Amino acid sequence: MLLERDGLLRILDQRLSDARSGDGSLVLVAGEAGAGKTSLVDAFTRHLEEGVLVITGACDPLTTPRPLGPLHDFASDPGSGLGDMDTAGADPFDMFETVLERLRHTIRPIVMVVEDVHWADDGTLDFLRFVGRRVHESKALVICTYRDDEVGPDHPLRPVLGQLIPLDSTHRLTVPPLTLAAVRTLAADHDADPEALLRITEGNAFFVTEILASGNLVPVTVQEAVLSRVARLDPKPRLVVEAVSVAPRPLDVLSATSLTGGELVDADAALSAGVLVGDGRSLRFRHELARTAVEDSLPPARRLDLHLRMLRLLEDEEHPDPARMAHHAVRAGDAKRIVEYAPIAATEASRRGAHREAVSFLKAAIPELERLERINQAAKLLIDLANELAKVDLTDQAMTYVDDALAMLPGSEDLSLIAMGLITKSRLDWRRNAPDKGWAALEEARRLLEGTGEDVALSEIHYQAAYAAMLARHGVRARQEWEAAKATMPDLAPADLKWRLEMLDGTIDIVLADSRSGSEKLNRSIQKARVSHDQSAVADGLSMLGSGGGEARLYDEALPALDESIAHGLDHDEDYSVAYSRAWQARIAHERGEWDRAVELAELVSATAGLQGGIAVLTARSALGRVRTRRGDPGALELLDAMVELGRRHELQHVWNAVCGKAEYHWLHGSAVAALGDLAPTYERALDTDSEWARGEVGFWMWRVGAIDRSPSRAAEPFALQMSGDWRSAADVWSELGCPYESGMALADGDTDAMLEAIAIFDTLGAGPMSRRTRAALKAAGVESVPRGPRSSTQANPGGLTDRQLDVLRLIGRGKTNAEIAEELYLSRKTVEHHVSAVFTKLAVTNRTEAATRAVAEFGAGADQR
Amino acid sequence: MPRYLVERTFTDRLEIPSTAQGLKAMHGVVGNNATEQVTWVQSFVTSDHGKTFCIYDGPSPEAIRRAAGLNSLPVDTISEISVLDPYFYVGDAS
Repeated sequence: MLLERDGLLRILDQRLSDARSGDGSLVLVAGEAGAGKTSLVDAFTRHLEEGVLVITGACDPLTTPRPLGPLHDFASDPGSGLGDMDTAGADPFDMFETVLERLRHTIRPIVMVVEDVHWADDGTLDFLRFVGRRVHESKALVICTYRDDEVGPDHPLRPVLGQLIPLDSTHRLTVPPLTLAAVRTLAADHDADPEALLRITEGNAFFVTEILASGNLVPVTVQEAVLSRVARLDPKPRLVVEAVSVAPRPLDVLSATSLTGGELVDADAALSAGVLVGDGRSLRFRHELARTAVEDSLPPARRLDLHLRMLRLLEDEEHPDPARMAHHAVRAGDAKRIVEYAPIAATEASRRGAHREAVSFLKAAIPELERLERINQAAKLLIDLANELAKVDLTDQAMTYVDDALAMLPGSEDLSLIAMGLITKSRLDWRRNAPDKGWAALEEARRLLEGTGEDVALSEIHYQAAYAAMLARHGVRARQEWEAAKATMPDLAPADLKWRLEMLDGTIDIVLADSRSGSEKLNRSIQKARVSHDQSAVADGLSMLGSGGGEARLYDEALPALDESIAHGLDHDEDYSVAYSRAWQARIAHERGEWDRAVELAELVSATAGLQGGIAVLTARSALGRVRTRRGDPGALELLDAMVELGRRHELQHVWNAVCGKAEYHWLHGSAVAALGDLAPTYERALDTDSEWARGEVGFWMWRVGAIDRSPSRAAEPFALQMSGDWRSAADVWSELGCPYESGMALADGDTDAMLEAIAIFDTLGAGPMSRRTRAALKAAGVESVPRGPRSSTQANPGGLTDRQLDVLRLIGRGKTNAEIAEELYLSRKTVEHHVSAVFTKLAVTNRTEAATRAVAEFGAGADQR
Repeated sequence: MPRYLVERTFTDRLEIPSTAQGLKAMHGVVGNNATEQVTWVQSFVTSDHGKTFCIYDGPSPEAIRRAAGLNSLPVDTISEISVLDPYFYVGDAS
């Protein structure tokens, strides 16, 4: 029952209606614990009309708050539209931007609730400041609740409030104590004196309800009210309540009762007394105030005892969950069990892709090991920690821990451990675009181990060197190091190293030698990894097949691998790998002439990965720049310039696409000189590699702008053919590869018939500049009647459908719902609805069944076609 | 938000009747544009109704194209433009 809150609800309604018209605001809802802030916000969000999106997040009462906890809550809410937010990125501001974009670019208003910001971590405070200053230009109402009585002058929330409150778009609401009238209403069915009740509780809503439930008017604090309610329970149910109070999450009924030597019926007693709430299987408290009241009331020895009992209970299970073991060991201060279980929990978490959890387990174990002076073990976990941090893209943090580990190890006899630290360091150096440092660390490790017979570590070093050489596209060196790694690897090497070495074999082939055989090798390896349920090896293989196959233009291999890699990444919290695979999808879509899709994917990568998305963003936005260039759309050169700049510190493979795009732009605009600026030095770099596609494409643009007059050696076939003047064969190879624009470019070099063919291709693609250029060339060659082909991609498709509408129609043909289509095409449901209605209009059909029939009959949308 | 000039060629003459149906079509266009955060500012139509020059505000050329797709409108070229107003200079002349 919500009493005396109508005025507050009306104010919130008013703010929402302002937000609806683009006048967003931030509302701070203050009140003491138990005043009814959450109930107010719940009541407000519950009565909202349909079409208002509600996104909620909360700060938790942990000793160490979850960093950016509320943003993680947003991201994990599938309805928030923030599911793709890169919550693992190095710079939290990218997440902030993503959330802000979400708030700004929305049709329907958004209510974003952040609960309990008095517990916010520093990152969340930055977020509140960030969003509070910008919310006025959005359709959002941001509601933050906090306990104002806990925010003293030195509280970290204080300066944030100081900055936000003066803003026009910030409003403050205080949830006032209940009045006598309200207390009277609440007390109506109870034998309680409302005036006394008001005096004791000072109108605190939770307190009032607790006292009424406890039937005891004596207590003077809410804790006492809770405890007195608990105290009225029989001893056995009370033990259940105590057990639940030490559980961080809802506790299952069986554990709760057996933990206390009680019966199931005891849990029922606790439930029916209203102290606990349950869903039939598990038990929890009604309010955090109540849980902490009980937990705090436990004598320390009893609390410790409960955690230890919990440990024993879990240990009795056939497969004790190391994560829960570690948690209770930490709470019980049981150092022996912490160092026993936390590392296992970390390995387990990492294997499941929960890297952040792995980090926190490792962080729990390391200080205990240091205290126990088990230095080597501590150093090893520090290196593991660095590897975990690297997986969530916290490269700088990771580097600090590796340095810590290496600083602990001088004089250690465990040379292989030192080498492992150096190898991790070198890998991080590459991630930070410092390949020279990376090679140096690797050399140091190699020197250290020479002649020691530490074969696993030596093999790892050769593997890293092979990998680095592969990244730099140095085929010979990559193969040599790979062979050395293979030769030194003992039979007993860790499975992980064996897999990586196996995957690298195919990758070296796919980008540097025979790409078909490379993809066959990779497919075989992925299949083997699948059979042995090695998820991380599968993921590595898919990513290599996707990007390597993409670079080699083996689209039939690359595309399914990328799809699977994205699905895998989404399941395993590997945000960067999702962004990277999507970026490759964007690049491939561009090359295949699916420009709408390329754009959509590129925008998705930019929006979700932010600038810290590094190579993923570089790859995706380079593709976007090339699409703009080929369409003749504005903003192409600016974007490509920015990407070339961003790519300067990266390996050639990541930047040549943007450089070629820039050259293409200048060539289309008749400026060969401008084209050469970045192109000529990139050509030198390409010639220093063994990559046929780099040599081919960069060489092609050098040739196109007249800087060289023949193909460089070892250029990819279709480029080499075109440079040799064999435009017809080049066009055939291109169309076989599935690259229509490149095919058109080759035909445009041909005779008048070929040029007409080229124009048809360009018009279908919507490639305005090449279409106009080829038409002009035909006119210049004396061909008078150049057909006025379709003038836009809209008219080029059957039924006048756009590429996107065709995609939607195909999926309708496969019986997909709008929601499924939205998911598959990464669109909002609203946009899908628009596409569907446009499709219906254009096909003159009135329902999905008719549309599906037409899809199959006229658009070849068979059941298993993608 | 950047402003764009969108040139369109209509192979069939562009006809929008001044009727309830025409109004509905216009509303449809505006609604579709909104999904892409695109605003149609104004258009100029050649006297033969074969070509239009349309001024749009939008977040990117891609958004302009998507809005055109939703509205089944052709696109020849998109140029980013800014306002150049002859009277802007009057004040500076004195």
